[in-house]
Amino acid sequence: MKKNSAVFKSDVNFKFASNKMLPSIELVYETYGEINADKTNAVLVCHAFSGSHEAAGLTSDGNKTGWWDEIIGPGKAIDTEKYFVVSVNNLGSCYGSSGPKSISMETNEPYGSKFPDVCVLDWVNSQKLLMDELEIGCWEMVAGGSLGGMQALQWAVSYPEKIKRAAIIAATAQTSPQNIALNEVARQIIRKDSSFNNGEYITHNTTPKEGLKTARMLGHITYLSETNIQRRFGRKKQAPGTKVAEEVNFEIENYLQYKGDQFSEFFDANSYILMTKAMDEYNLADQFEGSMSKALERIKSKLLIISFTSDWLFPSWHSRRLQKDCILSDVESSFIELEGSYGHDSFLFASPEYSKILKTFLSS
Amino acid sequence: MDSAYLNNWIKDESKVIDLGCGDGSLLRDLMNTKSVNGFGVENDLEKIKKCIENNVPVIQHDLDDGLKDFKHLGFDAAIMASSIQCLRNPKSALIDLLDVATTCVVSIPNFGYWKIRLLMMAGRMPVSSRLPSKWYETKNIHLCTIKDFEELCAELNLKILEKIYLDDHGRSLKKLKRGNLLAAEGVYLIGA
Repeated sequence: MKKNSAVFKSDVNFKFASNKMLPSIELVYETYGEINADKTNAVLVCHAFSGSHEAAGLTSDGNKTGWWDEIIGPGKAIDTEKYFVVSVNNLGSCYGSSGPKSISMETNEPYGSKFPDVCVLDWVNSQKLLMDELEIGCWEMVAGGSLGGMQALQWAVSYPEKIKRAAIIAATAQTSPQNIALNEVARQIIRKDSSFNNGEYITHNTTPKEGLKTARMLGHITYLSETNIQRRFGRKKQAPGTKVAEEVNFEIENYLQYKGDQFSEFFDANSYILMTKAMDEYNLADQFEGSMSKALERIKSKLLIISFTSDWLFPSWHSRRLQKDCILSDVESSFIELEGSYGHDSFLFASPEYSKILKTFLSS
Repeated sequence: MDSAYLNNWIKDESKVIDLGCGDGSLLRDLMNTKSVNGFGVENDLEKIKKCIENNVPVIQHDLDDGLKDFKHLGFDAAIMASSIQCLRNPKSALIDLLDVATTCVVSIPNFGYWKIRLLMMAGRMPVSSRLPSKWYETKNIHLCTIKDFEELCAELNLKILEKIYLDDHGRSLKKLKRGNLLAAEGVYLIGA
């Protein structure tokens, strides 16, 4: 698989939906496969909350594969022998695109908590700039899970002429109060970390690692399912000598701590807050005077809406409701609820049915 | 279901839902020939995949969970081709049908058909080319005759606007008389 990493720098003022401006933005992105002569085989994949542009192949640290490697690659659901896949790190994130860790040209210091609030529409607008830079006229498909699914939906609404298919997976058109509640607990945990320093931890030379770790542990539980945890860990005790901390008894505790620790090593606390806020704020109808039909009537692409049975963070009824609204607005749309025991994270794993459906949709 | 008479009943560019759409081929035909805005409902993943291949929008749904999800979504016509007898509660499906669409096309295999009667006379559950499954495999769990079905429609105040009886080969019978004995299938256009 031909793979490329690059940075796109846009030197025109970027206006956020909040009306804030940045004089320039940088987007780090990867591409997989090769673009054809007419540039008609491009697919955009959008990452979820803590994801990055590293979607397929080995990650830059060399010891993991990208978050959607089971889906993107030669012969896979999004076949890189046929398609040219673009994957962008979102604005406000912390993997290289402009975000709170970037240095402000005005102050010569990191933006920290002063980085403008981002929203799903901002991500789509910034991805559109990259699309123009790459001279891609129309995406064959925009696809993503969770927060990535919201971007796929937003693409279909905001740029109806620029997209042929949208795969909206384990997502919603309107973030639920349960989601907001869970996100707020996570944010509070981060803010209460004494190293957080109101978000200016970089200039204070501190890192709110403990807060980030605990927030991630909470988040992580919401990405799993009870069945999945039961099967994988049961009530097994963590073997002595392998514990990450003295107080740990059960394997599940050890696992969450271990994963939380890892996460706190690389993720940025301000990004955590920005990205969860972006998720909380997502309500497609808001952009159209509260009218879902006004939003959906703009769509010209085909929609594939997928949910998973064990996902309790973005349960199926969100997807079902979205498709109902699509039917009301005469949008060509399909809804499929797939088995998947991994909870919300099911969208990351390529079950044979999931892959087949996605592949069929892309080639339909 | 033969789409020839469906063509008269389904209007051009109308919005159509096919409840139990299988691989979506019926809708595909209607989308091609009548430019309908079609949606299929199916629960089998293999068939759903076929629908997507056929470019037919499809909703995964178990019809036994009822039709309330599809009420008041602006459908002009609903099609239920040979699937009502597979439902756990066909009566409530019929009641809900007119909240789904203003007109409905329903077809039923007629268990009053003389060939089936003959098979039953032999003391066995009917197995034929049209009813290929054995009793323990068949999806047909609520079997009725044309008489039974029309009686239920009357009871529910569902108006049968038009009807066609089909023979074993899916050809329409010239006369409706003695349809309960002579027809293998009844096809109905139902309105309020």
